Amino acid sequence: MARIFVRLILLATTLLTTSCMKWEYGIEEPFDTSASGKGLFICNEGNFQYGNATLSYYDPATKSVQNEVFYRSNAMKLGDVAQSMIIRNGIGWVVVNNSHVVFAIDINTFKEVGRITNLTSPRYIHFISDDKAYITQIWDNRIFIVNPKRYEITGYIEVPNMTMEQGSTEQMVQYGKYLYVNCWSYQNRIIKIDTETDQVVDELVVGIQPTSLVMDCNNKLWTVTDGGYEGSPYGHEAPSLYRIDAESFTIEQQFKFNFGDWPSEVQLNGTKDKIYWLNDDVWEMDVTADRVPVRPFLPYNGTLYYGLTVCPRTGDVYIADAIDYVQQGMVYRYSKDRELIDSFYVGIIPGAFCWK
Amino acid sequence: MRRLLLFIIGILLWGGATAQERTKHDWVRDGIDIPEVAVYGNRPIKEIGTQQTKFDSLALKENIALSMADVLTFNSSIFVKSYGRATLSTVSFRGTSPSHTQVSWNGMKINNPMLGMTDFSMIPSYFIDDASLLHGTSSVNETGGGLGGAVKLSTKPAQADGFGLQYIQGIGSFKTFDEFLRLTYGNDHWQVSTRAVYSSSPNEYKYRNHDKKINIYDEDMNIVEQYYPIERNRSGSYKDLHLLQEVYYNTGKGDRLGLNAWYINSNRELAMLTVDHGSDTDFDNRQREKTFRGVLSWDHIRESWKLSAKGGYIYTWMAYDYKRDVGNGTMAHMTRSRSRINTFYGQVDGEYYIGSKWLFTANLSLHQHIVESEDKNIVRQDGNKAIVGYRKGRPELSGSISAKWRPIDRFGVSMVLREEMFGTEWTPLIPALFVDGVLSTKGNIIAKASVSRNYRFPTLNDLYFLPGGNPDLRSESGWTYDGGISFAVGKEGIYSLSGSATWFESFIKDWIIWLPTPKGFFSPENIKDVHAYGVELKGDLNVALSKEWQLGLNGTFSWTPSINVGEPRTPADKSVGKQLPYVPELSSTVSGRLSWRGWSFHYKWCYYSERFTMSSNDISLTGKLPPYFMSNIALEKSLHFKWADLSLKGTINNLFNEEYLSVLSRPMPGINFGIFIGITPKW
Repeated sequence: MARIFVRLILLATTLLTTSCMKWEYGIEEPFDTSASGKGLFICNEGNFQYGNATLSYYDPATKSVQNEVFYRSNAMKLGDVAQSMIIRNGIGWVVVNNSHVVFAIDINTFKEVGRITNLTSPRYIHFISDDKAYITQIWDNRIFIVNPKRYEITGYIEVPNMTMEQGSTEQMVQYGKYLYVNCWSYQNRIIKIDTETDQVVDELVVGIQPTSLVMDCNNKLWTVTDGGYEGSPYGHEAPSLYRIDAESFTIEQQFKFNFGDWPSEVQLNGTKDKIYWLNDDVWEMDVTADRVPVRPFLPYNGTLYYGLTVCPRTGDVYIADAIDYVQQGMVYRYSKDRELIDSFYVGIIPGAFCWK
Repeated sequence: MRRLLLFIIGILLWGGATAQERTKHDWVRDGIDIPEVAVYGNRPIKEIGTQQTKFDSLALKENIALSMADVLTFNSSIFVKSYGRATLSTVSFRGTSPSHTQVSWNGMKINNPMLGMTDFSMIPSYFIDDASLLHGTSSVNETGGGLGGAVKLSTKPAQADGFGLQYIQGIGSFKTFDEFLRLTYGNDHWQVSTRAVYSSSPNEYKYRNHDKKINIYDEDMNIVEQYYPIERNRSGSYKDLHLLQEVYYNTGKGDRLGLNAWYINSNRELAMLTVDHGSDTDFDNRQREKTFRGVLSWDHIRESWKLSAKGGYIYTWMAYDYKRDVGNGTMAHMTRSRSRINTFYGQVDGEYYIGSKWLFTANLSLHQHIVESEDKNIVRQDGNKAIVGYRKGRPELSGSISAKWRPIDRFGVSMVLREEMFGTEWTPLIPALFVDGVLSTKGNIIAKASVSRNYRFPTLNDLYFLPGGNPDLRSESGWTYDGGISFAVGKEGIYSLSGSATWFESFIKDWIIWLPTPKGFFSPENIKDVHAYGVELKGDLNVALSKEWQLGLNGTFSWTPSINVGEPRTPADKSVGKQLPYVPELSSTVSGRLSWRGWSFHYKWCYYSERFTMSSNDISLTGKLPPYFMSNIALEKSLHFKWADLSLKGTINNLFNEEYLSVLSRPMPGINFGIFIGITPKW
């Protein structure tokens, strides 16, 4: 009997003293990319509800990439669904949608310098001045006004005829004192905001669900709709690309796609005289063109294009492939002559880019 | 916390001091039953070749606060993916996904027809009298679609004689209160039972948040200090009520009638992520559920044949509300989704024995689902209001016939043919073949092997959810093989030792996965082919160390590679040949119980190897889920008085106060305590 007990105690001790898992702390890693000059930030959304969004940094000159730079520099996670990023005065502003936060980081060291919290579901940030910025939201009918110097919410712009549940404001483009915002989810319009009064002063109905917004060298706004989806009570139609005159706020031209197409990610080159977008293939078009080109800039080659950007200096085209959405995505870099220059793995679901 | 622990120990010592001296009869009655080892000739012909894990009542009734998720975690080889305490808990059986495990309650399937999976955190183990796992092919005996296997849950008559009452009150850490009441009445013909469980907790356990830091700014808004905060589990409260009414009537002449009715009313907040920088007072993220499940059954038993019929109904109302404070305490809906499910169920089973060598069975079941899903309220372009959602009905018919033959005592073979229809789609014939044989009567060494085909239809959400449902999905299909060997030795009343080793292999085609789309929503696709294989080991030991000391040990070990063998999705795809994310390759459990007189000490331990969070199996700094071990202990004392039986119990969960995660950004509670006091009056 005694022997049995001794064996039992030995067994229990083995079990109890076996090392156990620890939820690890990160280690702050020093970075200084100021010498590298121009670089590209990649916002990797990560998987919704898993908090595994990351930030990558690519140096086009050396063709080197650093992944998870926010975590490595700050020893904390970026959050859940990194949606977008902009840079102003050496500070990068990273919008993390489902973490209800916008982080401000030093763009050379990736160190956090501050954060704006308690946002509803932030999507994009746009600076009106050094001490005033707008942050658009989904599932909220308000655009948040913030003071970026104090990291404070200072007010709201309520969007007319928009319920909280159906709230969706997205990308912002400024022309003079007016700011234009595309309203996407179960919406069909571009709104115009007077940045002096913080009021919506006008709106322009386009097609169903305009997804992105840019302004070319001729002060023309470009947006592309996704057309909704099959069975949607809001409607389902062929998507379109729109050219809108910012001054008169009227549609100049509508380029219709085939029913069932999924165009997205309208981008401009550095001189803002060409637009690019994704629609299975990668497309390029002069901003003065009257029709969509017959052949794509880069044909579909089995990749799942999810993000797109054009280098403002070289015209290189960067396309993100999300693969199966649960592994590191791949970014392909093409020259403006369609030559593959480089490819590199980044984080999960690379969706947005930001040039340093 | 220490004071609570001392209090528990004090209560238990008091119990020990005041207990009456127990008689020899008591320990035999209350201790571990050490059964006679079944001789090979007694193996039920109905279970030829099946790989089954049965849970004894000690595992199921160990603690009123346990859900079936807890029971499976510590007593089986199944991986339970838990999103937190009293939060969604799904299972991965033999490396498959949650919807590949079919779950039945008193014969009626209770998988959510919209999602396909079952939330085991919503099934209190105190409501289950009989639970077993049917591994892989063995599930075809009961149902189709169990590519990983099936979980059979059922209730049984209480065997009461006259009136009976049991009440247990539990108080635990994080202001957790659990209450259980059971009223029984029984005589030769009638058995009536009413059970109620009510559990509630603000569930605000503390943890050090390793995923985020708090900033301290100076007057110019420069960060002067950062630290990892100690946070509460924010927005994670729950209130769950379960009621179960059972009525059984036995004619005593071979007919039994049964009624089971189970009502659930659950109100749970969905806890915030570790990376959430919002304020919990500004958001309300809540899921509510009201479910009624009822089954009427009739068994007609004769010497050589049996006929059973069942009819049932399930009503589920689920609400998900995500609200935001828009000022002045006004909470506005960001998301307001509702779903209603009506399921009508009918089943007939027949068994016919020809002598002791042949058994023929036939089975036909129908589940008719009617589903309404409302995901969003919108204003259309014309200004009218509309709801984004769908309404669909689908009949699910499943029928099988089987022939089981045992020509000699040492050998048996069983053939099952199953056919299923979902909506208007029929599966091809699903065959399953089982054999077993006694290799040695010494040690009761039995070899088993089986093979089956299987199909799983897409769920209603897979097909119709708006936005994203994909009506063009194909059924998942697969072949599963397994083979194993088991032994059992022992001496009645002294010891019993049994064990088994099983190898299995499954090939699953057209695995359905929901993926994001460029339009901002998720949509399911048949994208993967998966080869899941591995080994399951089980062992069970019961020993009467002396007349007063008894020991029970139970252990499982699983090695379950679950490999993506499909084509690369894009040229950069690194997932082919890799383990599926969130499926551990290794898992193990040990549970032990040591009894002495009216005392018993329970020890439970489980282990999961690292789970990958990426299909490429790359390990990143932000996507790491290291392996973890978990240990729980409990000390219980039974007191027997003339007027009542009392039980006192103290539990410690997460004994070593591990900081661990089962899912990214979802911290689990550290060490926590509970005390339970039970009374069973003697009328």
